[in-house]
Amino acid sequence: PLRPSPLGPRAQVRVCADGGANRVFDGMPELLPGHARDDVRSRYKPDVIKGDMDSVRPEVKEYYSNLGTKIADQSHDQDTTDLHKCVAFITDNSPGSDKSNLCILVLGALGGRFDHEMGNINVLHLFPNIKIVLLSDDCLIFLLPRTHTHSIHIERSVEGPHCGLIPVGTPSTSTTTTGLRWNLDNTHMSFGGLISTSNIVDEDQVMVTSDSDLIWTISLRH
Amino acid sequence: MPPLPTMTHSSSFLLPSSSPPAPPTGADAENAVSYAVVVLNQRLPRFAPLLWTRARLRVCADGGANRVFDGMPDLLPGEDPDEVRVRYKPDAIEGDMDSVRPEVKEYYSSLGTQIIDDSPDQDTTDLNKCISFITRNPPGPDNSNLFILVLGALGGRFDHEMGNINVLHRFSNTRIILLSDDSSIFLLPKTHSHEIHIERSVEGPHCGLIPMGAPSSSSTTTGLRWNLDNTSMNFGGLLSTSNIVEEEIVTVTSDSDLIWTISLRKHT
Repeated sequence: PLRPSPLGPRAQVRVCADGGANRVFDGMPELLPGHARDDVRSRYKPDVIKGDMDSVRPEVKEYYSNLGTKIADQSHDQDTTDLHKCVAFITDNSPGSDKSNLCILVLGALGGRFDHEMGNINVLHLFPNIKIVLLSDDCLIFLLPRTHTHSIHIERSVEGPHCGLIPVGTPSTSTTTTGLRWNLDNTHMSFGGLISTSNIVDEDQVMVTSDSDLIWTISLRH
Repeated sequence: MPPLPTMTHSSSFLLPSSSPPAPPTGADAENAVSYAVVVLNQRLPRFAPLLWTRARLRVCADGGANRVFDGMPDLLPGEDPDEVRVRYKPDAIEGDMDSVRPEVKEYYSSLGTQIIDDSPDQDTTDLNKCISFITRNPPGPDNSNLFILVLGALGGRFDHEMGNINVLHRFSNTRIILLSDDSSIFLLPKTHSHEIHIERSVEGPHCGLIPMGAPSSSSTTTGLRWNLDNTSMNFGGLLSTSNIVEEEIVTVTSDSDLIWTISLRKHT
């Protein structure tokens, strides 16, 4: 029986941002070494390749285009990042008008060029009403908008124990948590002062309330 | 309001050299820049041997010692691994010692490396401890021309990366540069007007200015493709990312501390 890749068969829309298409083309067969490369490539076919097309290899674009992948060339728009364009595309085209159950999982947004990483984190702040999760081999991050109290369910078999809460955009005068080894209690956090890093999840549920948008981060188990 | 004092920045430490520079003497020694290197627990960037050779003090944060032990011979494949390890020996290994392999710690200890076990202190990060150590034990006469080059601070676990960036804010009077294979970043404190000298052979063209931790109401630049002109920046709004350096000197003034970032060229 085939072992599905963790996200592929469950996602409803799969979008590659420009050179992300190269990564799928080259990388999916490598992650599924027991299967024929062409089978993997046609099974793991993006619905859309979006962006300014300066990184995707021409033959990769051609290959997916022939399989029906939509190519959305936005090279004229230099004002938004590739991730921003993809999130906008997904929200414009997501099944159903209710976005409250939409969760966008992003691969490749962390690490690499630092300005890219920061631009990607900014997308979380620009779309605070959409659940966007940035994932790497080591961790995942998402925004906790200040407009809500947050209840984070921890899947201990795949994530933790290391976690953190980061006031990336603006200091937080008051943040309160439960479920962490070092909980915050109406605590002030800011760059230059205290930020919550190398914390530990102690319970299956972590609660966070803050007067500022925070970035939640948790390590992923290997 | 009096004009801000100017702080100049240069990445000349990334320039290749055919031989390690001789330590400056006499009058030059007083103004000369000195480098310290800190290695954190991630794969060494390709220019690690170059920076290590330039530095007068080398400190590994805990598992960073594993990375030097394993990684330096890999980066110098034409040379005998044992000779490489002896030549690239840290002056100190500092941290809570939960990552460094016992045999690596033993190896360096027997070569004279100082082992500083800080396990009781859970309140500060490994990088924080190393910076404190270096500022208390500067390689030169004082810290005024000391630049601390940090390898392995970016990428990896996001909370570690953010904690490392916070060290730049907490030690805003110390020149600390975080380096990866892809990027170089450092703090531009709001107390100064900044002149960043671009070494085009090793860095650029992609750059950015990030108001990390607090919005900036007004930033102004010269030398970039998309300059800022009294522009406000914040997360949730505009950030300067994917910008391009157009001139050899970039100037930046801001009402907020900003993080400057520039891409490193692949052959660096």
